[in-house]
Amino acid sequence: MVATDARPAPPATSLPIGGAKLRPETYTKPLREVGSFFALSLDILVQMVRPPLAWREFIHQSWFVARVTIFPTFMVSIPFNAFAVFIINILLVEIGAADLSGTGAALACVVYIGPISTVLVVAGCGATAMCAELGSRTIREEIDAMRVMGINPVQRLLVPRVLALMVNGLLLNAINTIVGLVTSYFFSVGFQHVNPGSYAASLTLLVGVTEVVIAFVKATLFGVIAGFIACYKGITVGGGPQGVGNAVNETVVYTFMALFVINVVLTAVTTKATM
Amino acid sequence: MTTAPSGFFLPRLTIFARRLINEWNRLGSQTAFYVRALGFVWEAVVRYKVETLRLIANMSLGVGALAVIGGTVVIVTTLTMSVGGLVAIQLFRSLSDVGVQALSGFASAYINTRLAAPLVACIGLAATIGAGATAQLGAMRINEEIDALEVMGIRTITYLVSTRVVAGVVVTVPLWCMASLAGYMATRTLVIFAYGQAPGVYDHYFHTYLQPTDLIWSMLQVIGTATSIMLVHTYYGFNASGGPAGVGEAVGRAVRASLVVAVAVTLAVAMAAYGVSGDFNLSG
Repeated sequence: MVATDARPAPPATSLPIGGAKLRPETYTKPLREVGSFFALSLDILVQMVRPPLAWREFIHQSWFVARVTIFPTFMVSIPFNAFAVFIINILLVEIGAADLSGTGAALACVVYIGPISTVLVVAGCGATAMCAELGSRTIREEIDAMRVMGINPVQRLLVPRVLALMVNGLLLNAINTIVGLVTSYFFSVGFQHVNPGSYAASLTLLVGVTEVVIAFVKATLFGVIAGFIACYKGITVGGGPQGVGNAVNETVVYTFMALFVINVVLTAVTTKATM
Repeated sequence: MTTAPSGFFLPRLTIFARRLINEWNRLGSQTAFYVRALGFVWEAVVRYKVETLRLIANMSLGVGALAVIGGTVVIVTTLTMSVGGLVAIQLFRSLSDVGVQALSGFASAYINTRLAAPLVACIGLAATIGAGATAQLGAMRINEEIDALEVMGIRTITYLVSTRVVAGVVVTVPLWCMASLAGYMATRTLVIFAYGQAPGVYDHYFHTYLQPTDLIWSMLQVIGTATSIMLVHTYYGFNASGGPAGVGEAVGRAVRASLVVAVAVTLAVAMAAYGVSGDFNLSG
């Protein structure tokens, strides 16, 4: 529980405006939320570089995230890439450049779709599962019990979780890229009658090592940020069944928004830097 | 289950068979749930008008802390705007690599309409409205409110599920309009103001290649996906179990399932709509 919740609400002394009583808390609550989110993230970052790392928990969590995300990764990546390549190939066939369909597929997979489908999987699958699991621990007062026993839950529970999501973000991006390229190959060659040789030959025309490295760095960052949001939402759960449900719901929404915006900013920066 | 008597021999095979049968039964009950929920839609609209209207208002603005940041409208608009920005940044670069950056307007009309806007709007819907419905229904199930409704003789699937499916689909249409507009605006703003392309060039190619039929298909894509998303989410919420922690679990599982469903349905509708030839002419 957050300490600020325990304080009883002060009596309403301010003037009623427009029929509703507006208390100062109405305005300060969102700010408080943002503040405590950053405080917790800083705690996690500091604990991350301090020596005793909970290795066992880290491995357990990595396995947990991998188990939860691996099936959705395939199931999101295959249709998403097929869809994109289908649309790009229509265009390429129309302008008579079907030979270059490999280039389009590589661009779509590595640069455009890869990071977005990694965001979807990391935020929609990894972060939600993590928040639900942490939230159920919070609601059973396991976290409070740890604090009473003098164990730091940040060091023991949250740092391994953020690290696990980070490692998994990196690995999932690799799976996404490979699955995407293979899907695009079968789709282009099987359905849209592109020559297999020219598909393979044109893959590396516009996409090089720089783009691949950028995609992996992005995916790692996505994992870290999704981990922060999931941990914060999971550890501040309150208010019974509806509260846990809402916490998971808010985790998805906030992670999607944060990661989509960060993706645009990072893309703008890296595009400018490599142009 | 039917394999129960043979429990003492071939244990591994028995367990495997039992699991298979359980999965099969779950699939069946899920399908039955969806069919019933869709079948009662008309009754829900006729009999529970007020509840449906209340849900529409509730969904467009969001529940709890999500309402503070502007509700579903703001969230979905933000998501499509960022993807529109992405289209501008990346396609402008790719197009100028081959020297045809004048075609950015065409890229916006083509990629935003067919790929970005429907997919991102659906994902936003799943995350906001869908997950919210699962949380609500799950909490109702855990608090035994659904059982109480059944005891009172109210058809719970009609009252709770069909109304939510109707409300979700009704909310989707204006949301999709907002989302598409936000995507176009983001691309146009970035290409014109950040990359300094002449507005006339951009608008010319944009209007030339923006096909009205594409927009209609895009909307049908979103409506189809929204229906399946709402069905999946209400199923997981309606059948939540295992106390407060179970609700969180159910929301997580529902989001995972609906992400997969959303992308798959969008692809299926796109393939059906555009066909192999693509219904597209570059020459105008």
